[in-house]
Amino acid sequence: MATVSLRQVRKSYDAQEVVHGVDLEVADQEFVVLVGPSGCGKSTLLRMIAGLEDISGGEIAIGERVVNEIDPKDRDVAMVFQDYALYPHLTVFQNIAFSLQYRGVGKAEIARRVAEAAAILDIESLLERKPRQLSGGQRQRVAMGRAIVREPKVFLFDEPLSNLDAKLRVQMRTEIKKLRERVRTTAIYVTHDQVEAMTLADRIVLMHNGRVEQIGTPEDVYDEPATLFVAGFVGASAMNLVAGRIETGAQGCGVNLGGESRLALPPGRYDAHVGMSVTVGLRPEHLHWAGDSAASMLAGAARVVEPLGSDTLVIFDVAGHELQARLPPRVVRRGGDPVRVAIAPESIHIFDPATERRL
Amino acid sequence: MSGHGGWWGRRRNRQLALIVCFLLPSLIVFFLYRLLPLGWNVILSFQAWSPLKPAVWIGLEHYAEMWTYDDTFWIALKNTLIFIAASPLAIAAALGVALLVNSDLKGATVYRTIVFLSYPLMAVAVGIIWRWMYDERGGIINFALRSSGLIAKPIGFLQDFSWALPSVIVAEVWQMIGFYMIILLTGLQSIPQNLYEAARIDGAPAVARFFRITLPMLRPSLFLCVVVGILNSFSSFDLVYIMTNGGPGHATELLITHIYKSAFEQTKFDYAAALTVVQFALLLLLTVAANKGAGGNAGAVERD
Repeated sequence: MATVSLRQVRKSYDAQEVVHGVDLEVADQEFVVLVGPSGCGKSTLLRMIAGLEDISGGEIAIGERVVNEIDPKDRDVAMVFQDYALYPHLTVFQNIAFSLQYRGVGKAEIARRVAEAAAILDIESLLERKPRQLSGGQRQRVAMGRAIVREPKVFLFDEPLSNLDAKLRVQMRTEIKKLRERVRTTAIYVTHDQVEAMTLADRIVLMHNGRVEQIGTPEDVYDEPATLFVAGFVGASAMNLVAGRIETGAQGCGVNLGGESRLALPPGRYDAHVGMSVTVGLRPEHLHWAGDSAASMLAGAARVVEPLGSDTLVIFDVAGHELQARLPPRVVRRGGDPVRVAIAPESIHIFDPATERRL
Repeated sequence: MSGHGGWWGRRRNRQLALIVCFLLPSLIVFFLYRLLPLGWNVILSFQAWSPLKPAVWIGLEHYAEMWTYDDTFWIALKNTLIFIAASPLAIAAALGVALLVNSDLKGATVYRTIVFLSYPLMAVAVGIIWRWMYDERGGIINFALRSSGLIAKPIGFLQDFSWALPSVIVAEVWQMIGFYMIILLTGLQSIPQNLYEAARIDGAPAVARFFRITLPMLRPSLFLCVVVGILNSFSSFDLVYIMTNGGPGHATELLITHIYKSAFEQTKFDYAAALTVVQFALLLLLTVAANKGAGGNAGAVERD
């Protein structure tokens, strides 16, 4: 077990820099998820930690040891690949045992450790099969077995679930979580799926265009997204982002979305920004149905109503903006119905449109 | 047709008829030009026959003659087997080339093309080119060997009894190496790159990665090369005919040139037919064995 430290890590291909100075400290036994859209540099970063890509600048340390020049096999990391990378001509047993054979582990010990890993992953009955005889989920387990049998300092996961169908993905996500309780090892997990990131991570590293946008616990990045990008990326349904202006009035500080639509802000917090044009972030699930008398609310007309059972997604127009709200079922029934929603002042996110950072 | 329950009434049978219709044209050609001559050839091998006389059934007499009296047959058989045995060497060399042009080597595509270019050449052209190169007086090989001081006297590569067969084999290998290389290169490129990455992290050194990933994953391609190599060794008539015509003496005689000479130079068509049957049986045996060795799927790509 070990910490992993990234200090100003850079990667360039020829003249093009794709990872621009990433700093990250992963604590011992921590499960960190790198998440971002494709091409954000998260997989490249993981491959640099594994030693499959050269490090163009900066330093990567596993434990106390800087590993920049160290061969992948000597870094004591294990990696689970997106398409499993099982050796097709070897049996499951041989696949799992493969790495141990090159680490001077005795035959009896190999058999014991493979059996142990197989028991943890519930694949004991598959040991004599070839990978092509396995389903996607089973292959995924074998790939993980191959990693845990090593008892490495660090686990690296490169989008391990993205080749599975939706249902299996949810199931395996839970399995990984359970596995994590049994095998407590430092882990770095790459995904483009924010739900996977939120559910698995101790801490999330949000990446965009080769830069870190925000590092924090799942709650942190949801409650206080540091940038517009994070605000748009995290959350089951995308945050509404609309232009507005901060103004002060009889009821205190508020944000005007144009026309009569005005939302109250937490008192005192944005006093320094009065008069400023901002981007306002409102999560659909934080908008709630407002009574007639509410002073701080948005009124408009529904355009599309999508009942989801537990709640209803309402798309409506307010002052020329199109917004989404998750409302209780049957409050709004069809397009054209009036919509009146309010939001708690502390749930409003205000961003500076110029820097795209949170105010 | 008897309505509902009749032969034509069954969907399966109608489909079968359709399938037969589609297969028929190629089956007819196959029958006329492959099976029929082969069958006739087998019958002929049991007969005494010449173009002007009626055929007489003589049973295994030709085979007995081959077995006991025909020294050329035994030489040709030995030479053919040596020819076949040389193809694994060619395949090994081609694997080396394929690994090189598959690496990050600068200009790999150029080398790949150059190496492959020998294959589409006509065997006759290859034979003539190599005959020039091997020439005792004006050949470039003798010139190079003498200029570098390796030999004092020129070697008559194609005239010398011990040099002739290896020299022809070299020309054959030269032509085939491009073909083997392309087959093996395709095989190499179908091996997922992340297997090597996984193996690197797993701690397998380069040699182990070659023997535990590359070779096993390449098995179908390798055996395809072996099968093609065997077929080719049996049929490389043109190259030998152009370069040495089986000589000097019978030093480069192959079964195929022996068959040709028996039939068309000595007009012993019946005897040549018997030789052909032997060659065919041998060929069948070796290809089946090679395909068995490939797990019955020579040329297939193994996937997970």
